[in-house]
Amino acid sequence: MLGMKTRKRSAMLLLSAVMSISLFGCSTGNSTTGNAGQAAGEGSTATASAETTKPAGGKLVLYSAGPQKLADNIIGGFTAKTGIEVEMFQGTTGKILARMEAEKSNPVADVVILASLPSAQALKADGLTLPYPDAENADKLNKDWSDAEGNYFSSSASALGIVYNTKLVSTPPTSWAELATPAWKDAVNIPDPTLSGSALDFITGYLSVNGDKGWELLDSYKANGVAMAGANQEALDPVITGAKSIVAAGVDYMAYSSKAKGEPLDIVYPEEGTVISPRPAAILKSSQNVENAKAFIDYLLSDEAQKLVADAYLIPGREDIEATNRANLKDIPQLKVDWNWMSEHGDETAARFSETFK
Amino acid sequence: MKPVVADNNRIFRRVGVILALFLLTISIGVPLLLIFWQSVYPDGQWDWMAPIQTITGHHLSGVLLNSVWLGICVVAVTTLLALPLAWMMAKTRMGQHRWVDVILMIPFMTPPYIGSMGWILFMQKGGYLQQWVPSAASWSELFFSFWGMVLIMSLHLFPFLYLLLRDAIIRIGGNLEEAGAVHGGRAGYRFRRIILPLLLSSYGMGIMLVFVKTIAEFGTPATFGRKIGYYVMTSEIHKYISSWPIDFGKATSLASVLLSVCLVMWYMQSAMSRKFTYRLVGGKGQRFKRYSLSGGAGWLCGLYLALLLILSVGIPYFSIIAASTMKLRGAGLSFDNLTLDHYRELLSWGSVSMKAIGNSLGLSLAASTVAVMIGTGLALTIGKSSSLMQRVIDLFSLLPNTVPGIVMVVGLILFWNSPWMPFTLYNSYGMVVLTYVVLFLPYTVQYVKSSFTQIDGTLFQAGQVFGGKPLYILRRILLPLIIPGMLAGWMMTFTIATRELVGSLLILPPSMQTSATYIFAQFEQGQVSLGMAMAVVTVGMTVLMLLGIEVLNSKRKWNAS
Repeated sequence: MLGMKTRKRSAMLLLSAVMSISLFGCSTGNSTTGNAGQAAGEGSTATASAETTKPAGGKLVLYSAGPQKLADNIIGGFTAKTGIEVEMFQGTTGKILARMEAEKSNPVADVVILASLPSAQALKADGLTLPYPDAENADKLNKDWSDAEGNYFSSSASALGIVYNTKLVSTPPTSWAELATPAWKDAVNIPDPTLSGSALDFITGYLSVNGDKGWELLDSYKANGVAMAGANQEALDPVITGAKSIVAAGVDYMAYSSKAKGEPLDIVYPEEGTVISPRPAAILKSSQNVENAKAFIDYLLSDEAQKLVADAYLIPGREDIEATNRANLKDIPQLKVDWNWMSEHGDETAARFSETFK
Repeated sequence: MKPVVADNNRIFRRVGVILALFLLTISIGVPLLLIFWQSVYPDGQWDWMAPIQTITGHHLSGVLLNSVWLGICVVAVTTLLALPLAWMMAKTRMGQHRWVDVILMIPFMTPPYIGSMGWILFMQKGGYLQQWVPSAASWSELFFSFWGMVLIMSLHLFPFLYLLLRDAIIRIGGNLEEAGAVHGGRAGYRFRRIILPLLLSSYGMGIMLVFVKTIAEFGTPATFGRKIGYYVMTSEIHKYISSWPIDFGKATSLASVLLSVCLVMWYMQSAMSRKFTYRLVGGKGQRFKRYSLSGGAGWLCGLYLALLLILSVGIPYFSIIAASTMKLRGAGLSFDNLTLDHYRELLSWGSVSMKAIGNSLGLSLAASTVAVMIGTGLALTIGKSSSLMQRVIDLFSLLPNTVPGIVMVVGLILFWNSPWMPFTLYNSYGMVVLTYVVLFLPYTVQYVKSSFTQIDGTLFQAGQVFGGKPLYILRRILLPLIIPGMLAGWMMTFTIATRELVGSLLILPPSMQTSATYIFAQFEQGQVSLGMAMAVVTVGMTVLMLLGIEVLNSKRKWNAS
């Protein structure tokens, strides 16, 4: 057992040496992509993008929530136009915020696109955003959805509706209250507001209009067997396969794109009005590629990118651009929601809702 | 062990212990410490009561009990599934069918949330079973209950326990049992008084890991548990860590409770294992007898195996493959709804998905190789956990398995991305490898430890008596005896790393995807068919690889046992 142990030890020593060398190797190799520590990182990015003053070449790190194809198309267009390479992290709003939190001491992202207005408002309140009041075409944006000081810009939005399986539902419900009737017992899904920013927007929006009476509707949903079912796609999936008939507060662009593929889906907007959930983009104060980030925001608000937004079945953020493949803003009955109230009461509403529906 | 203990040997042992402690401290200890630091230092204010407040202020007891009850039930069901199979494969001619081992790895290689999705698609209203057999509508939805969840999780985890138990039974060999038989012990008595006590140490290790894996599992609770309204600790932790508002403090407080439960389990297991560890692999040659199964017993065993394969692989994979070949998911099972387009899209050269597959394979290969090397070193250092330091190392090396993956990953990010580090590994390829190694180290350690602790020290002494140089003893005695453990650890790490999701989601550099994050992204994007196709492709590739290894193995002598 004696000498053999020493062999094991020396083998282990060697191993750990090899491992630490390879780790160092990786990290130095990586600094050229600009993710190394603050000191080293600044040096290498500066040399890589030649002073980073003009938006020609260089790179941009984007964290984006929402449809990936749209993000890919926008990045493609942006890189073609400016020559700036974009590195993207794609995830839900929650995942992006978690990643930003974990990276707090060494931020990486330059621009974030989220799927929920209140979280962008929170980023601004925490002083994490970099205002860009001179963004091109910002004046054409829907004022209610973007920050007056230029901290965030909603370049697209989705409306929440009643999404139903056309094989199972011949006469779709026309109001939110109807979903609490026996006809729809155990047949309805609703996305989880702690996972889906848009579902939270709907619930807080509805409550901001109806006050405590709004909870009566939600309680009657629970009593009628409405099931809380993960984020948007997870709530929609059982409706596509026919296990459920309806998604309440379903994101409309997902319904439109599935329908376009040929799935048996359709959507209605209840006549008493619904909530529209904007998708804000913001430059982070910690950005190391500010000029590139600004160029990206400009591109996001350009005619070209807004056209891509419309093609993805989303509502364009600019009021002067219309979509041809879906209901436009003016055709969707809206609730007169109070975004400030919604931001303030988001947490407690989500908590109470998930407590109720557990 | 006793004779001629040279001084320099003691020194080397100490160096080994120190080195192991150092490695574990920087890779596991400090990251977890940072997590705890966060939980007692919320909002930049020192408040050591914060975790306690979180726990008392949060209806925790119910969720905690849910987790523990789930763990206990899964342990019970995995035992029921794994023990008879382990005995059959070790003791009967069925053990010659080595392909069974590879097939049985499939459930373990399948990402848990994909396996659950398969079951859901099969059993739900309007699901594949009802489309197939309409009369099933009256009962198939009963599956959506607590016991359905236990079954899904047990079917996912039992291969792991099976492998441990089978290897242990093989090591027990035939001699002891024959001795029992010679002295007139009946089969039942022999099992109770000989096999069972000798199995307990491996079984204890196995069920502890199964228990811990169950209560730290996130995929199944998130897909199936949410459907039936069964909430556990991990779903609560995940809520705080991935949905707005993010609260690491609360998440880490909850994680510390989960950790405590696991530590209690670990303590019980190690106490039991110290009491029931026996030297089994001694110098005397082992005779090994395989029973040939004939008649009813053979049929019964065959039937059992078939049922197990249908439940663990057949049903979920029917659903997964069906979902991956559907033109329209709303149109259901029918021949004119079949297409291979998703596979075509997936496997087109240079596509995002092909890059993701390449990344997964590369990362898993690197991670499993590094993990096996470090893990073997650790396992040998831990030895029979006789000294306190060795037990500390044992505990440390098990921690990644007792902390929910996502918590461990956040700790790693906090550490490797902190401003005071001379270099940051975060956002690089190396970080992903490091994360996988840390997350899956316990597997190698367990497997190697399990084979090492049962080697009788006299074997090494014999080697020395006959003049074997240390290197020779290492090469000809130790390695051959622990290589099956190392290989099992390597395979486990590789297969789990190829499907690792939770950590990858947080730790992959932007613009980099693995097959698991690709699948997840497709689900998020509504491209379920594409995601399922990716699951089929990656699991299929891993199976082929393992089959290749099996074929190579079966030509080696040390595997003949």
